[in-house]
Amino acid sequence: MSEFLKILENEVQLVALAFMSAVYVLRLLWMFRFKAPQDFSYGVGSSKVGVAYSMMNVAMPWAMESVRRNWSFYFQFVIFHLGVVAAISATFIIPYWPQLFDVKVVVWIFQITLAAAFFVGILRLIRRISKPALRLISTPDDYFSLILMTSFFASGVFAVPNKHTAGEWPLIIFFAMTTFFLIYVPFSKISHYLYYPFTRYFLGKLMGHRGVFPRKRGGEKPAGLDNEKALTK
Amino acid sequence: MIEKSINIEDVLSLPLDPKEQKKAVEEKVPCVAEGRLKVYDPNTNNVKKFLELLQSRLNRSVVGSMTACVHCGMCSEVCHYVLARPHDPTMVPAYKGDQIRRIFKKHFDWTGRIIPWWVHAGSPKNDEDMNRLKNIVFGTCTGCRRCTLNCPMGVDTAILVRLTRGLLTELGIVPEGVFVVSKDQWETGNQMGVTEDEYLETLEWMSEEVGEEIGDPTFKIHVDKEDCDFMYTINPREVKYDPRSIGHAAKIFYAAGESWTMPRWGWDMTNFGLFSGDDKLGAFVAKNLYEAAKKLRAKRIVISECGHGYRSTRWEGYNWAKYSQDISSESVLVTLIRYISQGRIKVDPSKNSLPVTFHDSCNIARSGDLTEEPRWILKRVCTDFREMFPNRADNFCCTGGGGALSMVEYKPLRMEVAKIKAQQLIDTGAKQVCTICHNCVDGLGDLIRHYKLDMQVVQVLDLVANALVVPEKKEEK
Repeated sequence: MSEFLKILENEVQLVALAFMSAVYVLRLLWMFRFKAPQDFSYGVGSSKVGVAYSMMNVAMPWAMESVRRNWSFYFQFVIFHLGVVAAISATFIIPYWPQLFDVKVVVWIFQITLAAAFFVGILRLIRRISKPALRLISTPDDYFSLILMTSFFASGVFAVPNKHTAGEWPLIIFFAMTTFFLIYVPFSKISHYLYYPFTRYFLGKLMGHRGVFPRKRGGEKPAGLDNEKALTK
Repeated sequence: MIEKSINIEDVLSLPLDPKEQKKAVEEKVPCVAEGRLKVYDPNTNNVKKFLELLQSRLNRSVVGSMTACVHCGMCSEVCHYVLARPHDPTMVPAYKGDQIRRIFKKHFDWTGRIIPWWVHAGSPKNDEDMNRLKNIVFGTCTGCRRCTLNCPMGVDTAILVRLTRGLLTELGIVPEGVFVVSKDQWETGNQMGVTEDEYLETLEWMSEEVGEEIGDPTFKIHVDKEDCDFMYTINPREVKYDPRSIGHAAKIFYAAGESWTMPRWGWDMTNFGLFSGDDKLGAFVAKNLYEAAKKLRAKRIVISECGHGYRSTRWEGYNWAKYSQDISSESVLVTLIRYISQGRIKVDPSKNSLPVTFHDSCNIARSGDLTEEPRWILKRVCTDFREMFPNRADNFCCTGGGGALSMVEYKPLRMEVAKIKAQQLIDTGAKQVCTICHNCVDGLGDLIRHYKLDMQVVQVLDLVANALVVPEKKEEK
């Protein structure tokens, strides 16, 4: 392995990762500068249960009509994010646990996942370009982030065999993209996972307190009979 | 049900009409003179004021919704505006949310401040831009929260719309109807400008009617009676246009042998602050009611049938007023369930034999907690209850929510998007649609007339009162 690739896989990644972490810390501090809303009313449900339900929403596709009307989008979401997990894992496995990619089955699993995520990325790009409503709301950041992620998956397919003896370019491209990602992500929509806990927490807390979450599907006992305690509080 | 789609530019370019605002200034209406209700001033820097107000209103929950949208477009799958106008991309909830989000990004977010074009960050340049913003947030969204519950990220677009409405209300850049109703509620303590005499006369009239019906001439709706089991609060529409609903409630409470009262002041459980985004008005109205209950030493507050009224009084009002709840409050539905389940009233479902379906009010199903309660009651007071699909928190707005009924200029768009609700009603095959919201009564009534449906709107109290087996004269506590 060349010295350049070695530094790129290690020191450069660590510096970029430290940069991203520092920016995220600042970002979180910025978020916490804003006051959290307070609730002064008696609840009929549990805020904690509501928060848990809200956070788990991602694993309950049946709970949202938008998904029930569009199951393929949910599967695309799952595949795309599995691709993200695979790509991020590969950035650590290659430099720090390379022997794992000596196991062919593991390489295949990663390659299939990344390839599938790549195709989903292409589908998402087509969807974003072809639907007028999505075109209207899409920003350059939306397009760029999607193209970047999709390309990252593609580069990952070639990088995970980790065969630098056969040529270092796939690895150089993969780690160069990783470095760029680590620096760019905190300023782009890709960092939505940082905000997800906030939005989901507050929505879950509110809806849990009011008994809206967990969602009722019918047949439950009315609160008038069930929650006498809350009513007479 | 096919009709010509209106041009959205005609809606978005509707001008600001400050006629009523000018009149209020000339007449020195106290809430305007004292600055509680703002009027539009073309000579001030409204953009600057807007930004200052925005900064002061940001909290962690709002900032989350400002930053978390990934523009996935899932909200477009569920909004009745989009479903009724699929050709119009400006109907997408994320687009509506983006109108305030872009301002937030431009002034408060990192990327938007440095490279605004990259994230479509921008600022309103003048009052014309803000007038357009007014038409988007007041005219193209009823704040039903359907998109909120269907957003994978948990972005609360309805809260962003309400926030923007509130900022514009502080500048007087609002539809004329919003100004007028806000003024009425500030001035009279109720949305419809009902005077105290009108209110008391109506209660007296209803006392006589109910007394006659139950054969008890001594029956009386008590006003400001202390130490009752509950204080009953109503929608001013009941006084103005539908007093029989007060009579129905009174008859049922009588049959249950209830100890109850209505307050002389603080009886309006509706709250236009929810619609205008004006937390100060919201706090004022809610506090009137909470303090009335406290003064009367009522054990509970019972809220009549009203979607936004229930949400405002039961939930939001305490937060707007920063008033720690000290008296339990409940919907009249819960009271009815208690009566039926404890055998305090008897009902005969054969009195309601028409096929009836139930429409869940957005403010109750998605922002409240009552979805099973009305069904529990309807199944006991009607013989032919038919579920509407989708229902509960998935139900569609009646299209009269979010204060839309007071904004006549947006009615053509409202009626166009009502075709989703109209189809939902037709599919039930019911002859009656029951709702627990006075706004929905009018919203559904409008669309039933517009789409010429063979259906009538009723409320739970109507059906329970109709099914009520009136007992022999009962001792009132």
